Amino acid sequence: MKLGAQMIMLWENGAMSLRSILSNKGRAFLTALGVMIGVASVIGLTALGQGARVSVEGRLSHLGANLLIIYSGEPRGTSLVRQRTTNIAPMLTREDLTFLDSLPQELVTKTAPESSMNAQLKVENRNAAATVIGTDPDYPDVRNFRPVYGAFFTELDVESRRNVAAIGVQVYRDLFPDGRDPLGQTIRINGFPFQVVAIMEEKGSPTQDASVLIPFSTYRRSLSGSDNYAIINVQAASPEVMYELQEIIERELLSLRRVPSMEFANFYIANQMDLISTVTGVADTFTLLLGGIAAISLLVGGIGIMNIMLVSVAERTREIGVRMALGAKPRHIMTQFLTEAIILSAGGGTIGVLLGNLFSWGAQRFGGLASLVTPESVLLAFSFALATGLFFGGYPAYRASRLDPIEALRYE
Amino acid sequence: MIRIRDIHKQYEMGPTVVHALDGVSMDITAGEFVAIVGPSGSGKSTLMNIIGCLDTPDRGEYVLAGEPVAELSDDQLAEIRNLRIGFVFQNFNLLPRATALENVELPLIYRGRGARARRRVAEEMLERVGLADRMTHLPSELSGGQRQRVAIARALVGGPSVILADEPTGALDTRTGGEIMDLFHRLNRDGVTVILVTHDPALAAQTGRSFRLLDGRIVGNGLIDNRREEAVQ
Repeated sequence: MKLGAQMIMLWENGAMSLRSILSNKGRAFLTALGVMIGVASVIGLTALGQGARVSVEGRLSHLGANLLIIYSGEPRGTSLVRQRTTNIAPMLTREDLTFLDSLPQELVTKTAPESSMNAQLKVENRNAAATVIGTDPDYPDVRNFRPVYGAFFTELDVESRRNVAAIGVQVYRDLFPDGRDPLGQTIRINGFPFQVVAIMEEKGSPTQDASVLIPFSTYRRSLSGSDNYAIINVQAASPEVMYELQEIIERELLSLRRVPSMEFANFYIANQMDLISTVTGVADTFTLLLGGIAAISLLVGGIGIMNIMLVSVAERTREIGVRMALGAKPRHIMTQFLTEAIILSAGGGTIGVLLGNLFSWGAQRFGGLASLVTPESVLLAFSFALATGLFFGGYPAYRASRLDPIEALRYE
Repeated sequence: MIRIRDIHKQYEMGPTVVHALDGVSMDITAGEFVAIVGPSGSGKSTLMNIIGCLDTPDRGEYVLAGEPVAELSDDQLAEIRNLRIGFVFQNFNLLPRATALENVELPLIYRGRGARARRRVAEEMLERVGLADRMTHLPSELSGGQRQRVAIARALVGGPSVILADEPTGALDTRTGGEIMDLFHRLNRDGVTVILVTHDPALAAQTGRSFRLLDGRIVGNGLIDNRREEAVQ
């Protein structure tokens, strides 16, 4: 048959299948329902998985971008989001910091050392407990924790050891419940008077919201008495250099301590990349799992299609006989039923895509869940639905095409 | 037009072997109106299926319009049916959800003809059988006689070598059946070759000549010239 004739056949098959589907809308809907639910659940559930991934990624990037955190003490896993260790002995030295600051711009953009302790705060007759952190002016940039009101303390404040404090939003609420402007107000930290210069942004994490940030020089003089830092935050220049940078830092800090390996070190480095890849790895596994479960429901939908198609072939045995008597070849019959199965699965798939998006939107809007529909999941679910139709429609279509025209014509 | 030589066909029905056709030979020339007549079980349907290229003989020779068709593949048989044979069935066998016009177009679809050409030829055929005003009706909206006319238009539409009518009046009342027979006669006068398969000798007697089948064989030398019998009587 010529190409033109083939196209006509294809078109006619589509029209015939469509007519046959439309002549029994209720059944067509029920047939496609399985595929609809399957596709919708693949898209909806992977959207939840990916939503979880993106929201965790987002939360991690709130820590600051390209962050390496050097902790004093024994390694305790990659606990970047662990509770601040206020009771460990600070073992990172000024020498360490000087080395870090000497690293080229291509590796390190900024550093911020910190030490912290729990302290008692007092304004007039009001008391509050808070974590007091002694650090440097770059801290807001490095940890992505910025003042929303007022200005963070400066290099000048550090050099002149001023008693200035940037307070967390929870601290502000505890100490100034009347909502008055705290700038310029004096708070007492373990008895020492500090002037409030800024309120920090709300992070939703108690360790940050209930903290008070003061210059490290002041912290050492008034509170700790130690030159060492508990933590040094290092902001790498780019995500690509983070592992290289971690190695360089480990090597140099070990050599400064004359210690052969990290096993015996009194510090450890948490790499943001590790955490991100761990967490996103978990989220991806989660996505895969949900997607897999949903794919099974799609498979069940496919079996539904096969079921109905077999019934449809049986019901239309005589029609098939007539078509064969009029000159339909086996492959014409095959194509006709296959087209029908594909239309059903594609239709079900399309509605499923809409439902899946609707589900994802609803989960976000009304369920408060992070949800992200990726184009990949839509493409995957839809093509899987098509493949399901092709595969499970194939057997009934083959059966139809193999009918004996004489038997088929005689069929009651 | 049709040349059949010593055709055999047998079926296994459980343990027994049924010789449905046991050495049938016949010749039908173009433009003839012939009947194949016989009681049920005579092999009539089997012969019709073979002539209609729905089935192939176990052995023997069958030449249709100069083409040996006894040993063709399923696809080739389908092509021959589409080009050479026009079927008319007892129970019409129209597609219930397609209009008269769409039913008539059907053979042309399998020939890959474009929509406009199909429609034109199909309309022409429906006019020819007297259904110009019923083209967009569904079969369920037509009377039995009208349905059979649609079926005949469908058989004619591809310009076949032969119309194969299997008990075409069997589902119709006498008067309507008569009208259908008249239509066949008219078509035959216009040059269409018609083979009528029936169990009814009275119908067979209206045709040019009859082949009488019994137990898979053609009875009495195979040729009954109805006109000559009429003349003798």
